[in-house]
Amino acid sequence: MTILIVLLSLAAGAYFLAVIERWAVHGHLSLSGPAWAALALLGRESVLARKPDRLFFETGPVLLLVAGLMAAAVIPLAPGLIITDLATGALFLNAALAYVLVALIMAGWGPNGAYSMIAGWRFLGQFIAYAMLIVMPITAVAMRAESLSTTVIVTSQAQLWNALYQPIGFVLFVIAAIGLAWLPPLDLPDATGELAGGVEAEYTGVRLAVLRLGRLVVILALAGATVTFYLGGWLGPWLPPAAWSAIKTLIVAALMLSAGRYLPRIREERYLALSWKLGVSLALANIFLVGVIALVVPI
Amino acid sequence: MTGMTAQMVFLAFFGVAAVWFGIVVFRTRSMVRSALALLFSQTAIGVMFLVMQAEFLGVLQIMMMATEMSVMAIFMVMFMMDPGGMGEMNMTHQKRLSLWVGGIGLLAALAVVLLPDWGLVATSVPSAQAQAEDLGRELLSRSMLIFQSAGLTILTAMVAATMVAIVPNAEQRK
Amino acid sequence: MILELMIALSVGAGLFGVGLYGALSQTNLVMIIMGVELILAAALVNVVAFWRYLRPDEPAAQMFALIIMVVMAVEMAVAFGVAIARFRSRGSVEMEEARELKG
Repeated sequence: MTILIVLLSLAAGAYFLAVIERWAVHGHLSLSGPAWAALALLGRESVLARKPDRLFFETGPVLLLVAGLMAAAVIPLAPGLIITDLATGALFLNAALAYVLVALIMAGWGPNGAYSMIAGWRFLGQFIAYAMLIVMPITAVAMRAESLSTTVIVTSQAQLWNALYQPIGFVLFVIAAIGLAWLPPLDLPDATGELAGGVEAEYTGVRLAVLRLGRLVVILALAGATVTFYLGGWLGPWLPPAAWSAIKTLIVAALMLSAGRYLPRIREERYLALSWKLGVSLALANIFLVGVIALVVPI
Repeated sequence: MTGMTAQMVFLAFFGVAAVWFGIVVFRTRSMVRSALALLFSQTAIGVMFLVMQAEFLGVLQIMMMATEMSVMAIFMVMFMMDPGGMGEMNMTHQKRLSLWVGGIGLLAALAVVLLPDWGLVATSVPSAQAQAEDLGRELLSRSMLIFQSAGLTILTAMVAATMVAIVPNAEQRK
Repeated sequence: MILELMIALSVGAGLFGVGLYGALSQTNLVMIIMGVELILAAALVNVVAFWRYLRPDEPAAQMFALIIMVVMAVEMAVAFGVAIARFRSRGSVEMEEARELKG
């Protein structure tokens, strides 16, 4: 039952995200647009590249979807409304999201095309940049909650949201999340206009639909993770808990998507240099600060 | 003895998967496939840890190996002459010797597994929460020196690997 | 429960055998690293199995597993550093061509 509710809300969220993304890319709001686009994709011919690595070509999009769903499995929507409340939930989220990289490498390598292969390996470079900035802020969050369980992390923010308690970690995590979901301005793996769609270049029909759906689920899971770790999860006055998590998640996802409208694309080596020289030092400082605050003023 | 338990079935299944993917690593010609087969072998091992109720270690293994093996894959593509495996190159030597040594190693390890008396086997484990807490206390009290030297080793390895890999001066860059 | 222990340890033995074969038979440095990774993974499986079935109340065993993971990561980092240096100076990381390292 819980699983069904979570899956349904994921589907609804993914649809909402598709609408927002359409608005962010094309500039006009259309509620029925994504549905027609999905139907069109399902009806379209599935073109197969010449001499593909069939196994990777077929597995890549599915693995992306599975990784997104796994990550969503440890995000609590309300007290008790979570698929599995693991004692190591925050770490599990990382583990699931690490397979986004594997899925993209498979999807990039599989079709045996130059653009998609470059895009796949490029995402590996991008991964080196964002990986540390996903893990280290979460360390600080877990330090405050004294637990890796996502529900405990949410309840630890009853007094003060983590976004205010550790703002450095919050900013770093959101930037890294944008990199992980390869959203503009960090959308190097599918760099529209430069790599002709990148990883998506060789995919058509049903496979492309699965790939896009997987990406939407990953974005949603990341927004959910941001809300869980930094914005107090289901906590909030007046409304029921589930409504609060839904509202917060959708707002965060919409903000993440619309950032690309106003920022130029960042080259991967600049992103790499920035994340390691500035980001990692800031993340270490954040861990230190949170440790000091947790020891001196326990809130 | 209560016959087949769920734990046994899952352990055997993921164990076979781990060994089978391990064999695939050396049988496939495509280097990317080989690296990703190693990844799935390690992931199966991580799932085995989860079956053995070592939740933290299992999740950690699954997470770390995704990264490590993806990096492995790009190094394969960089350094191999035939990364796609389309040229049917032979990349092995002393095959007969290796098979013998591998087989003898396997049999010796199996003998060590089967022969001794393992004594009493524990039936219950602490909860995942308690495990994580115990591990943390262990790392920061009794085993602190070992833990710190592991961290220092990683740092040294990072610096050393970067130093070895870096281009010594600007002229050699051409 | 003894059978579960046996199964886990046999998996370790199998991984060890495969890794040993790979490390000896491959000619390329990166493939040899893969063999070594498999051998280390075998050790990891054994340590976790010992922890689970023989000493579940001993967190030091889990710590030992962590150290093995550290060794796996360090081994890879150093080997790839060497591989990059070797590739830059000689243009390949084939072991058959590395006989001059014998001294």
